[in-house]
Amino acid sequence: MNDRGDVLFKVEGLCKSFGSNLVLDHISTEIKSGEVVVIVGPSGSGKSTFLRSLNLLEMPTGGQILFEGQNITDKKTDIDAYRQKIGMVFQHFNLFPHKTILENLTLAPIKLLKKSKVEADKEAMELLKRVGLEEKASAYPSQLSGGQKQRIAIVRSLAMHPEVMLFDEPTSALDPEMVGEVLNVMTDLAKDGMTMVIVTHEMGFAKEVGTRVLFIDEGQIKEENTPKEFFENPQNPRLKEFLSKIL
Amino acid sequence: MDDFKMRFYVNFIKDDRYMYLVKGLQNTLIITFFSALLGILLGFLVAIIRSTYEKTGKCKILNAVCKVYLTVIRGTPMMVQLLIMCYVVFGSYNLNKIVVAFLAFGFNSGAYVAEIVRSGIMSIDPGQMEAGRSLGFSYGKTMWYIILPQAFKNILPALANEFIVLLKETSVCGYIGLMDLTRGGDIIRSRTYEAFLPLIAVALIYLVIVMILTNLVGRLERRLRTSER
Repeated sequence: MNDRGDVLFKVEGLCKSFGSNLVLDHISTEIKSGEVVVIVGPSGSGKSTFLRSLNLLEMPTGGQILFEGQNITDKKTDIDAYRQKIGMVFQHFNLFPHKTILENLTLAPIKLLKKSKVEADKEAMELLKRVGLEEKASAYPSQLSGGQKQRIAIVRSLAMHPEVMLFDEPTSALDPEMVGEVLNVMTDLAKDGMTMVIVTHEMGFAKEVGTRVLFIDEGQIKEENTPKEFFENPQNPRLKEFLSKIL
Repeated sequence: MDDFKMRFYVNFIKDDRYMYLVKGLQNTLIITFFSALLGILLGFLVAIIRSTYEKTGKCKILNAVCKVYLTVIRGTPMMVQLLIMCYVVFGSYNLNKIVVAFLAFGFNSGAYVAEIVRSGIMSIDPGQMEAGRSLGFSYGKTMWYIILPQAFKNILPALANEFIVLLKETSVCGYIGLMDLTRGGDIIRSRTYEAFLPLIAVALIYLVIVMILTNLVGRLERRLRTSER
């Protein structure tokens, strides 16, 4: 495991283009262990693409990403082994509809970490308790509300004991009254010291929980700062315009 | 009434003529069952290759082979394929006719199953593949544990339909001198010069089997739907 403050991700000149459309334009940054990095920006700015390239759901077309010093964009990297260390939470939850909640949580630990069913079940129940959904263990995803689904999606990732959690607009598909329950889980996670990278439109959350905020626009990091400075004293004109529209 | 009894006796009981139907039905069921197995095997294989190519661009050559297979099988009549299998492919071998029919129908069915399965795979939300991959599952494992079980549930009605069609299509087996159910009925007709009873009996037997099959699939479907209350 990493100590707080160790560099986990070192992103160097990351580019991604779809055809002639350059979505990420030479992005460079570092993400340290224990950080809660919040990424904001207008839609189509490339923020989701950046997040998704951190676990190679998008293959970069240029530059490199080092994770714990290892170049994961190298062809020889075992992507599947790498992804086991990176938790991912999607906007649309992507729970497995044909499996019960408990099976959703235990599938990967049993098949990939080779845990026994008893052990995986026990661990899954503890995780469910942590998000207050242990009574849903034998339910199917279709029987859950959006907020409950997203909480399950978060603990499904946690069941693999990831070193980093990535969140791609985790509350954007939720009814307003369900946003809070998901953000609470994420806040608890941050307090426990989990390294998190979050794309979101929840500015309150970014201010409260974030340790650093990135503003991505036109495929570039236009500004990055502590939440306080970021929101109270923005420098970049595009960021000022962006904040004036949403705050 | 006595007349009907008499006709029934002549067509089915006399000289143990019902055995034509029993033997024929046996052959029909054997051919259908094993062809369906081969069809499923081939169909899933082809479907996985094709959808892998469509999603990732890998398996280019295999995909081309699959496409030729689909085009040829779907572009020619089943009966012609059966005749070619019997008199061209295995023309110089003295292979059991049932094996010939099983291969011909299996290869034929595989092409149709492949397209059904492919449509099932393509109907699953791409988010499912992403969720599986980001947990650390390989492409193949995600397919096996996450995509295919969901796809299978969606295509079950179409798949059942394909096997009902397959069962009925085996009725052309008579053309390679194999006694299936249809040929069995026809033999009785040629012995007794009576068309009505033997052919109606054959039709009824097909109908009953199809009804049983439909019922079984319906039950399986309901069981698989438990996750969607």
